[in-house]
Amino acid sequence: MATETSGVTALTVTNASVPGRLDNVSLSLTPGMLAGLVGPNGSGKSTLLQVAAGLLSSTGQVAWAGREIGEILVPERGLLASWVPQEARFEFGFSVRSVVAQGRFASGDDERGVDEALQMFDLAGLSHRPVNRLSGGERERVLLARAMVTGARLQLWDEPLAPLDPKHGLEVLKHARRVTRDGATLLLSLHDLRVAYCLDFVVVLHEGRLRAAGPPEAVLTPELLFEVFGVRAKQTAGLTLELP
Amino acid sequence: MTSPWVHRFALPVSILLLGLLALASLGIGDMRLGPARIIAGLLHRDDLAAIVLWNIRLPRMLVAMLVGAALAASGLVMQAYFRNSLASPGLLGVTSGGAAGAVVVIGLGWATTSIFILPVAAIIGALTATGAVVLLARRGASTERLLLAGVALNALLGAVTSYVLSNFTLTYERNAKILFWLLGGLEDRTWEHVVMASPIVVAAALLWPLGRPMDLLSLGADEAQSLGVDVKQLRRSLLALSTVLTALATSVAGTVGFVGLIVPHLLRLVVGPEHRRLVPLTLIGGAAFVLACDLVGRSTVGGLRVGIVTSLIGGPFFLWLLRRQA
Repeated sequence: MATETSGVTALTVTNASVPGRLDNVSLSLTPGMLAGLVGPNGSGKSTLLQVAAGLLSSTGQVAWAGREIGEILVPERGLLASWVPQEARFEFGFSVRSVVAQGRFASGDDERGVDEALQMFDLAGLSHRPVNRLSGGERERVLLARAMVTGARLQLWDEPLAPLDPKHGLEVLKHARRVTRDGATLLLSLHDLRVAYCLDFVVVLHEGRLRAAGPPEAVLTPELLFEVFGVRAKQTAGLTLELP
Repeated sequence: MTSPWVHRFALPVSILLLGLLALASLGIGDMRLGPARIIAGLLHRDDLAAIVLWNIRLPRMLVAMLVGAALAASGLVMQAYFRNSLASPGLLGVTSGGAAGAVVVIGLGWATTSIFILPVAAIIGALTATGAVVLLARRGASTERLLLAGVALNALLGAVTSYVLSNFTLTYERNAKILFWLLGGLEDRTWEHVVMASPIVVAAALLWPLGRPMDLLSLGADEAQSLGVDVKQLRRSLLALSTVLTALATSVAGTVGFVGLIVPHLLRLVVGPEHRRLVPLTLIGGAAFVLACDLVGRSTVGGLRVGIVTSLIGGPFFLWLLRRQA
């Protein structure tokens, strides 16, 4: 479990609203937290991640490690937080390695950690392949590796698991767990509620509003799942993958 | 992926090629000059060769190189900006905007008052067209959207040009000048045109350090912003530079089409998509391409204007690209 090491939160979103998409959402994550963002399609998950990443302006405030992001210049933002889009669209045939190395742009293009990230995300064998000829899952891993090499302490990933096969999905979760143990904070949106159950913290969005936030066992109750997703859930014995 | 060998030799080879084309451009014509006479002429040791070189061939060669470098670089920038390898100043109507600006001031008879009027009018026309394209393609610059916006703008700006041609009481001289813009050519270029086009060198120098951030932008604006690129400022600089490059080229040579599409495309196939390599190579490659097209045009019986040659090559090339994309 994440513990609050200092009085400073890793990410604070206060009263964020985006007309028609997000309604007065407030949220706070402590350093070292592996947090999940769940909600039905169109509930505002991607919007909230973009607001938290400082890519979409909202009414309300966003602060990273206690600093208001409006006061952080763009190049420094690249060092502090990293955002991964829901879908990777590559028009040009950059090599896998060069795209991952773009994660070091804000750090003076030093390529530090690039080879490790390629290994980590099972991309070493593809490192010279053009990114516009990769499968959806491979492209996703390229984006995650690029986010990882930034070394940013706040990671915001939009549905990173959706295009991945089970093995790579579990590996990504393992790496997510590892970086948060090292003190980074990770907020990822996802649809698999079984995975959400294994995270430190879960944020539930519904129709642009924050419906609940807290430890998964407290938040993901059958009543809430029925209310938000319209699905009935019960504990059953079935196939259980070993989650990190 | 391209090999390190290609990366190492692409720049020296392209410089060598440009040098050879420059030599050919100075040597070929009604009066053929060998390398020895070219050197003698440039040093004023051969009077006849000196007159031909200094008054006719050298300014024409320099204008061709500047125009080619500017149009190719402008295309490269637009492709990164719109994340679309089919974007280019001609197809998007930016060239037509520059031409319309130029034609209006020629039609009004203002162009003769100062050598700066024409480039400034071309820049204003091109900026207007660029502004329109950016507004139309604000969210999601799909190929269809961009090309249709280009079709509309080209038609609209063509109407402006036709209006000037048909409704203004024009002297023969002005009419000829306007036709010159519309056809695109390098005939009778003088040192005045070299001076008019010379800010291209400044714009190219400003573009040089933007190669790396262009890499990130070409893979997505939000992603680039998240990685620490000041996307708003970068986009503003890129648009201004590419528009000014196109406008300056248009103001000295008229509408020379397809250079911004062909050159970056071919170079991307050879050295890959990284802009730190592509920016210098595109400048040199563009200069070489227009110089070569001008040579072909001059060597053809009866003579072909450079804009006709680039279009004869560019049209089929564009169709091939569309087929390849589909």
